[in-house]
Amino acid sequence: MVEAATRILVVDDEKALAEEICAALKPLGYVVRLAHTISDGLSEARAGEPALMIVDRMLEDADAAMMIETLRAEGVKTPVLFVSGLSSVEERIRGLKAGGDDYLVKPFAMAELTARVEALLRRLDDVRTTRLRVADLEMDLVEQTVKRGGAEIKLAPREFKLLEYFLRRPGQIITRSMLLQDVWQYRFIPDTNVVDVHISNLRKKIDASGRPALIVNIRGAGFMLDASR
Amino acid sequence: MLATVAATLLTFSFVYWQITNADEQRVRAILVEETSKGANYDEPELRKALDLRLTRDLRRLDYVGLSDPSGKLLLGNVTAMPAIAIDGAAHLIPDAHPPGAPDRVEPAVFVARSRADGSVLLLGRSLLEVYGLRKTVLSALAVALAPSVMLAVAIGMFLSRRTTRRLARFHDTLARIMRGELQIRLPTRKRRDEIDQLSHDVNLMLDEIVRLMAQIRNVGENIAHDLRAPLSVMRAKLERGLATPEEGALRVTVSQALQELDRAIVTIAALLRVAEVENGPVSLEFTSIDLAAICADLFEFYEPLGRSKSISMTFEASPPVSAHGDADLMREALSNLIDNAIKFTPEGGAVRVSVGMEDGRPTIRVSDNGSGVRPGERDKIFDRYYRTERNGRIRGSGVGLSVALAIANLHGFDLKVSDNNPGAVFELSRRADAGRSPNLAA
Repeated sequence: MVEAATRILVVDDEKALAEEICAALKPLGYVVRLAHTISDGLSEARAGEPALMIVDRMLEDADAAMMIETLRAEGVKTPVLFVSGLSSVEERIRGLKAGGDDYLVKPFAMAELTARVEALLRRLDDVRTTRLRVADLEMDLVEQTVKRGGAEIKLAPREFKLLEYFLRRPGQIITRSMLLQDVWQYRFIPDTNVVDVHISNLRKKIDASGRPALIVNIRGAGFMLDASR
Repeated sequence: MLATVAATLLTFSFVYWQITNADEQRVRAILVEETSKGANYDEPELRKALDLRLTRDLRRLDYVGLSDPSGKLLLGNVTAMPAIAIDGAAHLIPDAHPPGAPDRVEPAVFVARSRADGSVLLLGRSLLEVYGLRKTVLSALAVALAPSVMLAVAIGMFLSRRTTRRLARFHDTLARIMRGELQIRLPTRKRRDEIDQLSHDVNLMLDEIVRLMAQIRNVGENIAHDLRAPLSVMRAKLERGLATPEEGALRVTVSQALQELDRAIVTIAALLRVAEVENGPVSLEFTSIDLAAICADLFEFYEPLGRSKSISMTFEASPPVSAHGDADLMREALSNLIDNAIKFTPEGGAVRVSVGMEDGRPTIRVSDNGSGVRPGERDKIFDRYYRTERNGRIRGSGVGLSVALAIANLHGFDLKVSDNNPGAVFELSRRADAGRSPNLAA
C-alpha cells in the first residue's frame, strides 16, 4: 500500500507513547526513527530526510514549535503532525502557525493518528482537477454533477462536498474528526453519531439500485472509499 | 502631622515679621518727617522744639543734635554727630551710644538734614523698644507655638500608634489566615474609615477564596468520581476478558474497555474545555458574527440525525441576527444544545430551532417535546460536575451544557431552560447589559 521505506521521524519525550506510535506505524510499512529531545530531533530531521515528522509540542527541554520554525526557516518542507497535550484553540493555532500541517490532541486513537499520517503523506495531487472518477462513479466539479454508471445522482451541496472529499482520497482511511474539520470546518466533536448519519444518507444516494457500496466503514477508525469495487 | 507644624510655623513667622517690621518702618517715617519739618524752623523756634523734645523724653529714647556748619555741636543729648550722610533719610546705626549712658550700645535710627544757614539738624530714636517688642512677640509666639506643635505631634503619634497597632493586628490575623485558618476574618468597626473599608474588602476576598477552594475540592472529587466509574468498569471487563479462554470474547472485551476509556477521555476533554473557555477570553478576537447563518448551517448539519430518529425538525429564522463574538465558540455552544435536544427527544418527537431579534437582543431557542427538565434540576444541569448518569436517564448531557453556558457567559449571553409542556426550551439570548461586559470591550 505504501511505497518502500517511507521514513517517519517521531519526536516525543514520552518514550512509552513514542514506542506505541512506532509500533502502530511499522506494520503499515513505514520506517520509523525516534528522537526524544529537540537537538536529536533537529539532527535527525536534517540528516535522515524523513517524509513526515510526528512531533510532540511540549518536550521536556523546550517548545517543539520553535524546532519546526527553525527547520522551516532552513527550507525544510517535510510535513509535520503535532501531537500535544495542549488542547486549547490558541495552542493549536500556534502550532499550525509555527509550520505544523496538522494537530492532534493527546490522548488520541492510533487509528486517528495513522489516518492523519496517511492524509499528510498523500497530499492532494492536483486541486485544479475538474473531474474525479472512482469505479463507475464520476464527479464533474465544474458542472457540480455526479453520475454513477451514467445515471445522474442529485446531491445537496454539503453531500457533494462530502463525496468530493472521499473521491479525492480513494483507499485512504478517513476519520470522523477529519470530516468534521475539513468538510464542515467544525472544531467541536458532537456527542452523537451525526457524521455517520450523513455518510449513510450519502451512501443511500450513491449506492442506489443495488450497486456495491463505495464508502465502507472501517471499524474503530472511520470510513474509506473502496475503489476496488 | 508635619504639614500642620509647617503651617503653624508659617503663620507665626508671618505675624512676627508683620509686627516687628511695621514698627521699625513707622519709626523711620516719623523721624524723616519731623527732621524735614524741623529743618525749616527758624533758630529760636527750633531750639524751643528741641528742648521740648528732650524734656518730654522720659524714657530716653530720643536722640537730638544741632551742629554749626563746621560740625561743632551746638545743642543736644548726643556726644558727637554720628557718621551718617546728611541727606534727610533714615539710617540705622546698630551700635549707637544712648544719651547719658556712653558705655552702652543700642540700635537706633538717625536722620540728619542741613538747614538753610548751613547748620545740621539730627534726630534719632532708639530701636530698643521695637527690638524689645520683637523679643516679646517672639517669646509670645514661642509660648503659643510650642504647645500647638507638641499637641500636633502628640495627636499624630497617638493616631499613628493606634493605626500601627491596628495594622499589627491585621498582620497577625493575616499571618494566621495564611497558615490555613481560613475561617477567621479581619476585625472591622462600625466607623467606616479607610482601614475598615480595606478590611471589609479583604474579608470579602477571603470569602471568595474559601468558596473557590471548596469548589476546587469538589472539582477534584468529582473528576475522581467521573474517572473512577469508567475505570472500574474497564478493570472488571479486562479482568473477565483475561479469564476467558476464547479469543473472540477477548476481542469484544477489549473493544468494550476501549469504549469506556474513550468515555473517560471525553469527560476530561470537556472539563478542560469548560476551564479553557472560562479562563481564556483575553486572546480571543471577537468579530461581528451572523447567528442566523450559524444556526441555519448547524440545523442543516443536525437535521438528518433528527430525521433518522423520525423526529420532526423545524427551523425558523428572521435574519439578520448579528452579534459580537467568536463563530467557532458560538457554533460549539449551539451544537451542544441541538445535540442535546435530539438525544433527549423520543422517536416521533419534534425539535425546533428558532433565531431572531427580541427586544433588540439576539435570541436563539432550541425546543423539544422530550422528557423535559424537572424544575429542581434546572440549575443543576448546567453544573459541569452534575452527572446525570448517576440518576438514570434524567436529561442534561453533563458537561456539554456546561460548555454551552461557559461560552454564553463569555459572550455576555444568558442560557436558560424552561418548560415546553412537554419537553424543554433552551434559550440563548444576549443580556440587556451585555454592552458593558468587559469581555466585549475589546
